[in-house]
Amino acid sequence: MAMNQTFSEQSTIKQQTDSGFDKLDPSQVLACPGCDLLLEDIPVQPGEKLVCPRCDEILRAPKRNSIDHSLGLSLTGLLLFPYAVFMPIMTLDTMGLKNTGTIFDGIISTWHTGYFTIAIALVLTSVVFPLTKLCLVFWISLHLKFKRIPNYLPKMMRIYIQIDEWGMTEVQMIGILVTIIKMHHMASIHYNVGFFCFIALMATTVGSSLSLSEEEFWEEIEAGRASR
Amino acid sequence: MNSSTMTTTARDANLVLCHDCRKLTPRQPEASTDEAVCPRCGATLHLRKPGSLNRTWALVLTALILTFPANILPIMNVNYLGNAEASTIMDGIIYFFQEGSYGIGMVILTASILVPCFKIIGLILILLSIHFRWDSWMRHKALIFRIIEFIGRWSMLDIFVIALLQVLVNFTNITTITADIAAPYFVGVVISTMFAAITFDPRLLWDA
Repeated sequence: MAMNQTFSEQSTIKQQTDSGFDKLDPSQVLACPGCDLLLEDIPVQPGEKLVCPRCDEILRAPKRNSIDHSLGLSLTGLLLFPYAVFMPIMTLDTMGLKNTGTIFDGIISTWHTGYFTIAIALVLTSVVFPLTKLCLVFWISLHLKFKRIPNYLPKMMRIYIQIDEWGMTEVQMIGILVTIIKMHHMASIHYNVGFFCFIALMATTVGSSLSLSEEEFWEEIEAGRASR
Repeated sequence: MNSSTMTTTARDANLVLCHDCRKLTPRQPEASTDEAVCPRCGATLHLRKPGSLNRTWALVLTALILTFPANILPIMNVNYLGNAEASTIMDGIIYFFQEGSYGIGMVILTASILVPCFKIIGLILILLSIHFRWDSWMRHKALIFRIIEFIGRWSMLDIFVIALLQVLVNFTNITTITADIAAPYFVGVVISTMFAAITFDPRLLWDA
């Protein structure tokens, strides 16, 4: 049986090989998670993408200095986090009455109105998961930076991958902007410390997600455990 | 499809892809009873996500059922000088269009109505196409699924807005805003469609 493989990169690369399955080395091939197509593993430079020729899923997208960037951005995010969540976001001023609110107040008041499911969803998506994600990225990249791989690191990396999409800092940022547009002609709005911290937190969270190359992290974890 | 006779899948080559760390491992012989575990990350290995089609169907149908109360019942309650006024998601959008804020109206229309509909209809279409083995438009179906995976979380937008409004617009005796009965159903739609995308295995599209 012959195995024909086609690769597409940013510049189209086409490779074909003939090899039997029995000779196949799992570390020399790559399977597409979107369609299970088996492809030959070829080196990809940072900034380039390897795309599945059958279903267009991105197979590899290496990042430059992934570990350093993730470490720096997650640390910045962790420092900003308490200010973004517990400091007032903005003050509404209408007819001499003033009202200030934090992200955390939003959760508390939802709990008090009796919508417990929403309060739990809010606390998870805006506090628990984003904070856990930042902690995990910081801890994992710190260990990878110093090439110390404890036994629990793969478990931590798996938790990060599984909760990744449940941290919704970016969605909440758009929510804050929508609130501003909704309120700006009914009341005058003063922006407080929390607002600027939240923008910075959103930027670092998105930055750390974009700079983290899961492939590289896994390879470093595997290499570190093998060398011990 | 054009090259179906030419392509080889990991399954053909007896390799299993780890769904957490994407490492390829040779498949265990059929006889062995122990659970295969990924040597790199420790996740249980499955050739395909277990029970994928059933779980995705169940979650999509749940989302479809919850969509009705989420859109028909009021999601927000504005109390102005003692007059309570409940509004549904659609009322909020119409309000923005009447005010002339078309941009923001479009953002909420997209996040709260178009995105959930797209997710439910898209997933049902993909599931039906697997059942009936429709093998045309494969790349487009793969693209639809990637879009559904990506936009999943953005529907939570309206809930974040209501939570913040609830705190900021709280001038006792003059005007207050509170969440209303549709909000939990709406959260239910978002969560069940997100889980539907997680339990669905896109490789099933190409297996047939």
